[in-house]
Amino acid sequence: MVENIGIVDTRNIISAVTDTYGFDMSDYTFTILKRRLIHAINTFGCHSADDFAEKIRKKAIPLDDFLFTVSLEVTEFFRDPSLWRELRDKYLSEISRAADCRIWMPCVTSGDELFSLAIVMNEGGLQGKIKIDAMCPSQKHIDLIKQGGNYDQKKIEVSEANYTRYVGKTQFASYYTLNDNRAEMKSSLLNDVTLAVQNDILNASPSKKYKMVVYRNKLLQFNIPLYEKVIRKLVYNLEIGGYLVIGNMETLEYSEMSKKLQIVNATEKIYKKRVD
Amino acid sequence: MNDYKAIMIGGSAGSFQVVSRIIAALPANYPLPILMCLHRLKHIRSGFVEALSIKSNLPIIEPHDKEPLKAGRIYLAPANYHMYIELGNRFSLSTEDVVNHSRPSIDLSFFSASYNFKKKLVGIILSGANKDGALGLKSVTDNGGLTIVQDPKECQVPTMTTASMNATKVDYVFSTKQIIDFLLKLA
Repeated sequence: MVENIGIVDTRNIISAVTDTYGFDMSDYTFTILKRRLIHAINTFGCHSADDFAEKIRKKAIPLDDFLFTVSLEVTEFFRDPSLWRELRDKYLSEISRAADCRIWMPCVTSGDELFSLAIVMNEGGLQGKIKIDAMCPSQKHIDLIKQGGNYDQKKIEVSEANYTRYVGKTQFASYYTLNDNRAEMKSSLLNDVTLAVQNDILNASPSKKYKMVVYRNKLLQFNIPLYEKVIRKLVYNLEIGGYLVIGNMETLEYSEMSKKLQIVNATEKIYKKRVD
Repeated sequence: MNDYKAIMIGGSAGSFQVVSRIIAALPANYPLPILMCLHRLKHIRSGFVEALSIKSNLPIIEPHDKEPLKAGRIYLAPANYHMYIELGNRFSLSTEDVVNHSRPSIDLSFFSASYNFKKKLVGIILSGANKDGALGLKSVTDNGGLTIVQDPKECQVPTMTTASMNATKVDYVFSTKQIIDFLLKLA
């Protein structure tokens, strides 16, 4: 088992990924990427960073499998319960009054946030009034989400506690079925969700602008130059007056795009796009 | 002795009073950044900084992602995020899975800080009820930094300090007062 890799190993793998898949990870946050690459090296049964890079160069690991393994997970449903209460009590009902209301969720990986949002919409009687365009880094992510996610007991216990703090309308258990101690979320939660593969958010070109973009704890993965490009993409695809939601310890402070946004909830990091 | 660039403190059960004593003893012009990774309830986002700040002469901050590290400040790993120090002295945060049942994980914070600061890091492990931090402190040793553990005889819960001493040969086993005296000498 590989327990650590250095900066040279990391750069070699980044080069192999760029050369083989045309996918550039050179501006990803070093420590997070290093840890995800160690996870991938062990998941693919490689005995070293060089072995892993070689397998990538020989295309022994498909890009879809690579991105499925290396993507950062969110790890909880209803993470930050007060944020979901805010969305339920204020922002979702507001945007749902618009015709053709759509929410964009790029880089959906483990599905926790997507299912959380779907439950909030369900409990708010917003089914059919808001559509979610969810983009996943790999087809494997989509397949897993369509199967209900297959979440372990530990995640479900944490998520049930979060749901209780969110003050949901029912029991969290009513939204999943247990199968061999693994939870599968009910597929009906995805009725208003369109799932699509988008390997790289910078290549995403949605045909419409959105009333809300939910992108929580995803900017953590990027160094500032790439962070700036991604925020530019998110803001471009947001309607004037639309809302951008990021993680509570993320900030737009280091982005030129912050001047195009007004913070409307500083605790939960909800921003509103200003009139140009 | 004055070559150190940062001090990292890890602690869990029984560490709050020790940390409070340490930060109360540091003067407002203390020149080094203090990085603290303390086990805390994941779902309580506020209150910890305020409680620690009561007796502190230095500003205590939960760093946002990508925030630059500055001297003369005390940084506390925020609830439910792992806290890393990146090359270039910026913080990064992560929502990766818990490590040693913890997010923030002391081990992960120490790994990144020791990789970044190498021999210019002082690592300190205080009272705690699990082994998180032991491998982190070993990484400080492996990178040439200086290691201190709170004397297990003084700890409310000595599991973390004992595990650290088993994981690596620590430079000093200090009482809280000795830790304070040492830190003041670095100023």
